[in-house]
Amino acid sequence: MRQRSLIAITAALAAGALTLTACGSRDDDGGGSSGDGGTTVVIGVDAPLTGDLSALGLGIKNSVDLATKQANKEKVVDGITFKIEALDDQAQPSSGQQNATKLVANKDVLGAVGPLNSSVAESMQKVFDDAKLVQVSPANTNPALTQGQNWNGGEKARPYKSYFRTATTDAIQGPYAAQYVYNDAKKTKAFVIDDKKTYGAGLAATFSDEYKKLGGKIVGTEHIDPETKDFSAVATKVKNSGADVVYYGGEYPQAGPLSKQIKAAGAKIPLVGGDGIYSADFISLAGASGAGDLATSVGAPVEELPSAKEFVANYKAAGYKDAYEAYGGYSYDSAWAIIQAVKKVVEDNNGELPDDARAKVTEAMQNVSFDGVTGKVSFDEFGDATNKQLTVYSVEGTDWSPVKSGTYEG
Amino acid sequence: MSGVGPVEPGEGTRAWDIPGPGTPPEPSPEPPRGRLAQTYTRHRRVVLSIAAAAVLLAGGGYLYATRPEQAPPDPPPYPSQVVGITYLGPEPSPDNAPPKSFSIGVELTVQSGPQVTVLRITQPYAGLSLASVPRLPFRTRTGFPHKINITMQVTECAQVPTNAGLPFLDVTLRNMRAIQVHSFILGERYAHDLSEAVQGACSTNSATAPKR
Repeated sequence: MRQRSLIAITAALAAGALTLTACGSRDDDGGGSSGDGGTTVVIGVDAPLTGDLSALGLGIKNSVDLATKQANKEKVVDGITFKIEALDDQAQPSSGQQNATKLVANKDVLGAVGPLNSSVAESMQKVFDDAKLVQVSPANTNPALTQGQNWNGGEKARPYKSYFRTATTDAIQGPYAAQYVYNDAKKTKAFVIDDKKTYGAGLAATFSDEYKKLGGKIVGTEHIDPETKDFSAVATKVKNSGADVVYYGGEYPQAGPLSKQIKAAGAKIPLVGGDGIYSADFISLAGASGAGDLATSVGAPVEELPSAKEFVANYKAAGYKDAYEAYGGYSYDSAWAIIQAVKKVVEDNNGELPDDARAKVTEAMQNVSFDGVTGKVSFDEFGDATNKQLTVYSVEGTDWSPVKSGTYEG
Repeated sequence: MSGVGPVEPGEGTRAWDIPGPGTPPEPSPEPPRGRLAQTYTRHRRVVLSIAAAAVLLAGGGYLYATRPEQAPPDPPPYPSQVVGITYLGPEPSPDNAPPKSFSIGVELTVQSGPQVTVLRITQPYAGLSLASVPRLPFRTRTGFPHKINITMQVTECAQVPTNAGLPFLDVTLRNMRAIQVHSFILGERYAHDLSEAVQGACSTNSATAPKR
């Protein structure tokens, strides 16, 4: 009798164990579906999705897409399903403006992420602001976009209430690069080149100002035409100037060949640039002689940010073909800021979007605050990110390697 | 007739339990065919126990093998990501401060994570030297502000910019995760006060320090 009981208990336990096993293996099926029915909110994306700068643009688009999918999966805003509408500006201000008009015309769009280029942003700001549609750029670094044209004269004035950005500005990036080049790299004679665009010329100016204040000499300046790839004349001028460093305000499609041609001309000196050259494509364009070239970029290295770990894993799991590149984390945070603003507006309106949702979302954006991929995300009175970190990277082999990071605490 | 006697078996009837004389003997129950089956018959309870235990063991093993992965504990954050430094303003220089020196105060706070040790504080200009109180290295307490008094001495006026727009302090930090040198850019007020102090220290009529 005792033996029979033993068998019965054993069998029951075994059955129980198998049942539990079956339950435990069902985890993966849960969730993942986008919101069912309810309201659809569209987050517009404007970036260069084709052309020379598409590596950065596609990283922006994918990261916004990931943020919306994550928000839908986690049902961050009850009853709201987020979608993206991504438009290609080809890094052209006129295309950016057309895209802004198109996004404004879609009543489901309650916010937009982008653009990459400051010059494109200039053409979009008013269109969005007139429609009270919030815009958050993950990449624009020109200070005037948030602080007005006279930002450097001590008269900061925010031109558009609807414009925000998660990236650090060139008011910090250029001077930090100058400090590194002069004090750490001990380069005292710089040749400064820019592409005459809003971003490139602005960055070169902030670098030059600080470099001169520190005691550095600008031994030559040049502007290049971004439509060409033959910079041999400029390279010869650099060689003859006796410069020990080149600072370039512009983007990697030109910076890569420029670096290569300067070295080929016999000037074995580093080329230094801003976040616009911080791309894997720069390294391949510059070739082996680009080793030792430097770039500053917004934010701390991703591997140093505990908050970025999940983003990197999710991005990989999502299977996007293109890398998230320099602005992936900032794009995700820009989209998440819009999602948080929408959430606030919905919660304040008994769970529904109000009629003036765009204006309310723009208003709510000013007070958004959360721990994002790039750290704490919130905005100051100009719409600039309060988290201002930046890093100097050096080309080592086939990668950018972080050299030094800084945080603006002002 | 009052009584009924036992009914006698009639013709063609018989009691089933008594074999008839011509009836062949009933075969004994068929013996088990295989050896295994015989063994099973002999040790049925033991075999069942072992089988149940095996099933239990297999189930348990499967459960163990497919248990939810216990995520390894997150490593502590890099020290530069949890340390903040705020510029407080000019401070009076200590009595024993060397000539051409000036002092400022900053506040360092470790916002979260394990203890951070401040190993070194430097500034980037060749013509300035720097000393700080408390003496370095010192350990911090997470969540508590630590005031640091920094005294800088101008050792060579030509090697110090008098109007740098974005001066910073390089601070070497250590915690369980890493040792890092991180620049803390203290903002416009620090830039202004530093310029003023350097200009004061290097003005032609300042034979000694413009102690504050």
